[in-house]
Amino acid sequence: MQSDRLIVFDNVSKFYGEVLGINRITLSIAPGVTSLVGPNGAGKTTLMNLMTGLLRPTKGAIRVLDIPPSDPERFYRNIGYCSQFDAFPKGLSGYHMIHSMMSLHGFSGSEAESRTWNALERVGMTDAAHRRVAGYSKGMRQRIRLALALAHDPKVLVLDEPLNGLDPMARAEVIDLFRKFADSGMHVIISSHIMHEVDIVSDSVIMLSGGYVVAEGNIQGVRHEMEDHPIQILVRCDRPAVVASNVFQQDSVVEVKIHTDGRGLLVSTRNPDQFYDLLNRIVLENRIAVEGVSPADENVHAVYQYLVGSNGAGPL
Amino acid sequence: MAVYKRTYTRYSGPLTSERWRCMIIPRYAFQTVLASRFYTGAFVLALVPHLIALLLIYFRSHIDALGGLGIDARGLQIISINGGFFINLFIVETFVSFFLVALLGPGLIAPDLANNAMPLYLSRPFSRAEYVIGKMSVLLTVTSLITWVPGLLLFSIQTALAGLSWSWDNFRILPAILLGSLLWLLTISLIALALSAWVKWRPVAAAALFGIFFVSAGFGTVTNALLLTRWGTLLNLASAMGMVWRWLFLNEMQYRVATFPFETMPSWTGLVSLVFVCGLALVLLAWKIRPAQVVR
Amino acid sequence: MAFIELDRLSLSLGGRTILKELTGAYSGRCIGLLGPNGAGKTTLLQVLLGFYPPTSGTAQVLGLDIRTQIRQIRHRIGYMPENDSFIAGMSAIRFVRMMAELSGLPPEAAMERAHETLFYVGLGEARYRALGTYSLGMKQMAKLAVAIVHGPSMVILDEPTNGLDPAGRARMIQLVREIRDTHDINLIISSHLLRDIEEFCDEVMIMKDGRVATYCNLEEERRANRKFLQLETRGENSAFLEAAELLGCECAVDGRSRVKMVLPETVEIHDLYQLAQTHTTQIRRLQYKRDSLQDIFMKAMEVGKK
Repeated sequence: MQSDRLIVFDNVSKFYGEVLGINRITLSIAPGVTSLVGPNGAGKTTLMNLMTGLLRPTKGAIRVLDIPPSDPERFYRNIGYCSQFDAFPKGLSGYHMIHSMMSLHGFSGSEAESRTWNALERVGMTDAAHRRVAGYSKGMRQRIRLALALAHDPKVLVLDEPLNGLDPMARAEVIDLFRKFADSGMHVIISSHIMHEVDIVSDSVIMLSGGYVVAEGNIQGVRHEMEDHPIQILVRCDRPAVVASNVFQQDSVVEVKIHTDGRGLLVSTRNPDQFYDLLNRIVLENRIAVEGVSPADENVHAVYQYLVGSNGAGPL
Repeated sequence: MAVYKRTYTRYSGPLTSERWRCMIIPRYAFQTVLASRFYTGAFVLALVPHLIALLLIYFRSHIDALGGLGIDARGLQIISINGGFFINLFIVETFVSFFLVALLGPGLIAPDLANNAMPLYLSRPFSRAEYVIGKMSVLLTVTSLITWVPGLLLFSIQTALAGLSWSWDNFRILPAILLGSLLWLLTISLIALALSAWVKWRPVAAAALFGIFFVSAGFGTVTNALLLTRWGTLLNLASAMGMVWRWLFLNEMQYRVATFPFETMPSWTGLVSLVFVCGLALVLLAWKIRPAQVVR
Repeated sequence: MAFIELDRLSLSLGGRTILKELTGAYSGRCIGLLGPNGAGKTTLLQVLLGFYPPTSGTAQVLGLDIRTQIRQIRHRIGYMPENDSFIAGMSAIRFVRMMAELSGLPPEAAMERAHETLFYVGLGEARYRALGTYSLGMKQMAKLAVAIVHGPSMVILDEPTNGLDPAGRARMIQLVREIRDTHDINLIISSHLLRDIEEFCDEVMIMKDGRVATYCNLEEERRANRKFLQLETRGENSAFLEAAELLGCECAVDGRSRVKMVLPETVEIHDLYQLAQTHTTQIRRLQYKRDSLQDIFMKAMEVGKK
């Protein structure tokens, strides 16, 4: 892909004095929704700050859509940033907050106004726009910050935990919004702790731990690359023992665990494709009544457990 | 052989009596205060005036004995241990206790409010009143121990040394010390607590405590001058206090070197002014100490 | 026995009516409280804790009236607030001890239980450090410790997994499950994360605009509707789907090779496998679709809009 459609990190390190932010990171981020995942302190916020030009790297170079941060005029037009911190200027209403930012960007009066209302509409805050931000609930403040990040129609949106504090409806709406942006060719970079949402919304995932990138790319691709962890597939059926004895026909099946309730089994295999074919055959030959088949760990959560959970920074 | 698994368990033992729950707060506060050498040192320093007074009382009664030892202590006869002596001690005590309250007060409520710990307090069988009483008792206990408690002790020692007739003549001093101290301590403690609730930074709160007295004095004088009245004196906290003390100590106040500008105002007005200030402090406390803050 | 009974409970604050005549009796072991922002969830919890007296109506918690017996109620409740709540200068052990004593425990019992609880929530090693030095995850755990140290019979958790990283979330979920599985304890959990609610709760109360929009029992919902399926296939699946439709199944394809199917009475899953074999399609995933909490929630929100 041409470099003017990529966000590129070239061997970037960031240290805060002695404290490590990120260490020797090289990335090429394509358009679409990319999620940053990792424990607290892994470097997600540092990465985002570097991407949005708020920090300069200790070493290495960053280019966003082929523009370096040293060219702020062009750089900042393309980027919208929503930080995780719940801060806002005192005394302003939601409308004012966004309108003044639009003026700062250099838009004329009428255009600033239309952009402001546009942004407010997209996040669903038109009713409360003239109330003071200090009186908003947490979810409303989150939405105003989102509106602020996208009001100037940037090509790259960097959002630090954007769903924090939003109720389930708002979450679904905002996730839809991100998908729409991604489909229109924008870069949407999100950091989140909620694994199943990351699964639903992302095109690709960047997993950080201790300042390093431990995995990146489409989650299924990542999973299949992890050879020392065979894929686990959960099969629920009426006679798991029969299935279990038959699956070892394939060498690639390494382990089978029968569920404690006697109505299911967990198969670990190195070759899921082959396995599914085998399973289809076993079901028919033995007239097994199947209740469900699902990959148990082809999701971000499981990958995270494998890559970060055991050797990454512990919870405390 | 047994394997023990740690799980969550309900508590089914006895509970403490509800009446004394407010004493939990001072207990914890004292543990912090006593652990700090700074505060303990300040407390000990605060007792120095009483030590000096004790020595004076003792030597005053034993001038002859000292003469026997070869020390010419007749100069001490200028000092007479009477109401004036105790009033001087009392004034010193009020200054010292003020400093101590400025030291301890600001750190009592501010940390609780700084990180929103009130919902945790108030979701327990614990009311706001108990909370304030608990915090007040910290200040009142510490300051009482350096004001009226040693004051009364010294009075008894003097009585023991000088005989019952002396105490009969100076009897008025006893309730004066007690009530005067209590009123003073109550007022400054409430103000300090209110400041601690409203002002986050401790040094600023301490400074504000000093400030209130100076500013109120200024207000009082300016009002008097501008409106050509005496009622402005009521705005002056120190004056209001002084008015009440004057009434309590009666004519003894004439022994004081510096006088407060309260001239001929009736003493009860001073009391009213103080009650008003205490009430204001309580209202301010009630406003800030809530389980949930309503933001419009 | 219902552990919460609401009787036309209403609350007005600052001129606005926030809770509107809430009524109902709830007796599940673990109740989830859901709703959009501004629905009144946190306010309801605050009223049950006695932070605001109700404007009209009343409620019973554990059989005690909130208007007259709030002190006794507070003896039996543990509360974990949503926002940060700690005293920066105190060590965790002192803080938890003090809170335990304020709930009525004698000092020795408070000391014992405080240590025990801090170990239980995973703060054992850090319990002598000041709370101001704790990370966000540790502060959340400290809040949980404060909520359970006095062994209450009801625990209220407001957004317990807020701000936790995946490891912290997993631990919190584990802990809450363990607490729920202890006998004799009732939980109320308010959260925006439907997945979390699905993990712990058997009953869900959805609020909207100060009223109860829906109350549903998740256990029952899960048992219903056995004929809706979700499939994921690999390989050419158009022939497979056509054949399935010929048998009477309704199929709806969802973008990336996911298919939703409704099976008629006559068709078994075994038959689908047969078809897959015949048409060389690989079935990679097969699940009964249950009406997830997401759908229930959306439906509840729709109700008001009509």
